[in-house]
Amino acid sequence: MPDNEINVGGTLIWYYYVCKREVWLMGRQITADQDDTNVILGRFFAEQSYGREKKEIAFGHMKFDVVRKDRHGLVVAEVKKSSKHIKSAKMQLAFYLWELSQKGIKARGELLFPKEKRRELVELTDELIDNLLEAKRDILRIIYDSIPPEAEKKQICRNCAYAEFCWS
Amino acid sequence: MKKTIYIFNDGQLKRKGNTLYFESEEQKKYLPVEDVGELMVFGEVSLNKKFLEFASQKEIIIHYFSYYGYYMGSFYPREHLNSGHMILKQAEHYLDEEERIRIARQFVSGAARNIRQVLRYYNNRVGGISETLNRVDEVIMSLDDCHDISRLMAAEGNIRDRYYRVFDIITRNPDFPFEERSRRPPRNHLNTLISFGNSLMYTIVLSEIYRTHLDPRIGYLHATNFRRFSLNLDLAEIFKPIIVDRVIFSVLGKKMITVNDFEEEGEGIMMKDRARKTFVQELDAKLKTTIKHKGIGRPVSYRRIIRLELYKLEKHLIGEKFYEPFIAQW
Amino acid sequence: MFVILVYDVNVKRVVKVLKTSRKYLHWVQNSVLEGEISKANFHKLKAELRSIINDEEDSVIIYVFRSLQYSSREIMGIEKGGQDIFL
Repeated sequence: MPDNEINVGGTLIWYYYVCKREVWLMGRQITADQDDTNVILGRFFAEQSYGREKKEIAFGHMKFDVVRKDRHGLVVAEVKKSSKHIKSAKMQLAFYLWELSQKGIKARGELLFPKEKRRELVELTDELIDNLLEAKRDILRIIYDSIPPEAEKKQICRNCAYAEFCWS
Repeated sequence: MKKTIYIFNDGQLKRKGNTLYFESEEQKKYLPVEDVGELMVFGEVSLNKKFLEFASQKEIIIHYFSYYGYYMGSFYPREHLNSGHMILKQAEHYLDEEERIRIARQFVSGAARNIRQVLRYYNNRVGGISETLNRVDEVIMSLDDCHDISRLMAAEGNIRDRYYRVFDIITRNPDFPFEERSRRPPRNHLNTLISFGNSLMYTIVLSEIYRTHLDPRIGYLHATNFRRFSLNLDLAEIFKPIIVDRVIFSVLGKKMITVNDFEEEGEGIMMKDRARKTFVQELDAKLKTTIKHKGIGRPVSYRRIIRLELYKLEKHLIGEKFYEPFIAQW
Repeated sequence: MFVILVYDVNVKRVVKVLKTSRKYLHWVQNSVLEGEISKANFHKLKAELRSIINDEEDSVIIYVFRSLQYSSREIMGIEKGGQDIFL
């Protein structure tokens, strides 16, 4: 697999902070069980909101739920159903901010959890950039490894569509 | 788990009102497309391209059986799960003779050890099988010394021969003597049941393969060349004794199927629809029964066990974990 | 799980509700469908119906049974439809 074949995008960043094994499997297109309840519903609601033209603002391959300007500059926001995977969500948004900055667009980020009446600010700091670049390198290292990282039983396995693959 | 629909009547399958629709002389019926995973067609059923397009879009696989109940072929919609990595690994393990044998041996070993489980159970219940059990054990011990596919195939044939020869002791049903294994056409009632059950098993495994990243054309025990599908035949070997044969023993034991449910057809013996329905119903129920699974930590159905077996094979192919076949606990 | 779905909706939306429900359940008789349904499909069915019906005018009721143990189904007159894996 030559380097340029793998493009570490926001999705892999997300999975990286959820489960490293999933990164390897996704990187090799070994997708999870398509009969899994969450997979089916995810696909269904994605198609539905797509049809209804959910108001998203696209920047290249990135899509944001809200884009606005305040006195400090541009703010891009994402609405999340729950803060369960807040670390993943934060790093993914940071990754988009970093991609925007590469294109010369300076922005700050916001994660919105309307159900929890919670809001989380994400600002691209040098430290965060370092973390992201480190994650990106680590993701490539994981994918290039000939075998996937060993399965570890975690809380999230209970609702994971890979569970039967991992524990069979 | 989506359902399997079995069509015995003659009629027409259509796409209607965005769902599946079957029309025959006696009935008109809509089928919930979102809950159908596969169709097994025994009757004279006609359908058009629009229907196939719909089936393909909904990832529904269709298996066809001839008038005599033989498997004819399947409508296997275009692959919806694709992993270049997995396909390469699958082919790599086929091309490397060493690797191919290692996997093929596990399939034979799984089949043999499940046969042993069935034999043990009946030896405890009715007795008189211990000699066969010993022989089967010997062959299982010798599998490690089989270094080419033909020797493996021979060992498997040997076990199966001995196994079939005690079917009369197991079934204790003089109407259904085993005599000898005959296929295409099967020449007695028991052989007809075995053939029918095995073909169903092949299609069920094929449907499960469709829901993984494996390619059904690349098998290890059964050679890949010339045949359309072979991986399903490989895996079916493991499940035939504990699923198909147990259903046979059960329908014969409970006299749910009798010799009156068959008819002569040329050289062979053919099942009537009533018997096929009974068999299919029992098989369907068997596949839905659940057993406890240690790794997964909750009960899983036999149907799901087949899927898990495919996952285990995938993990072997990607080099993660050596494949060990599923062995029934009793 | 097993569900029984009954609906009483404005005639303008009857066909849509029927067609949508038939993708997930078996038709039993006028305005009644039933069947085994997976958790995912149950959510999908409800989401689809929600986008069709008018909350002010229409009514859809779904009875949900975790299993059919301790229940029985009795029919008087003729059986018009229902769930069967054989055709």
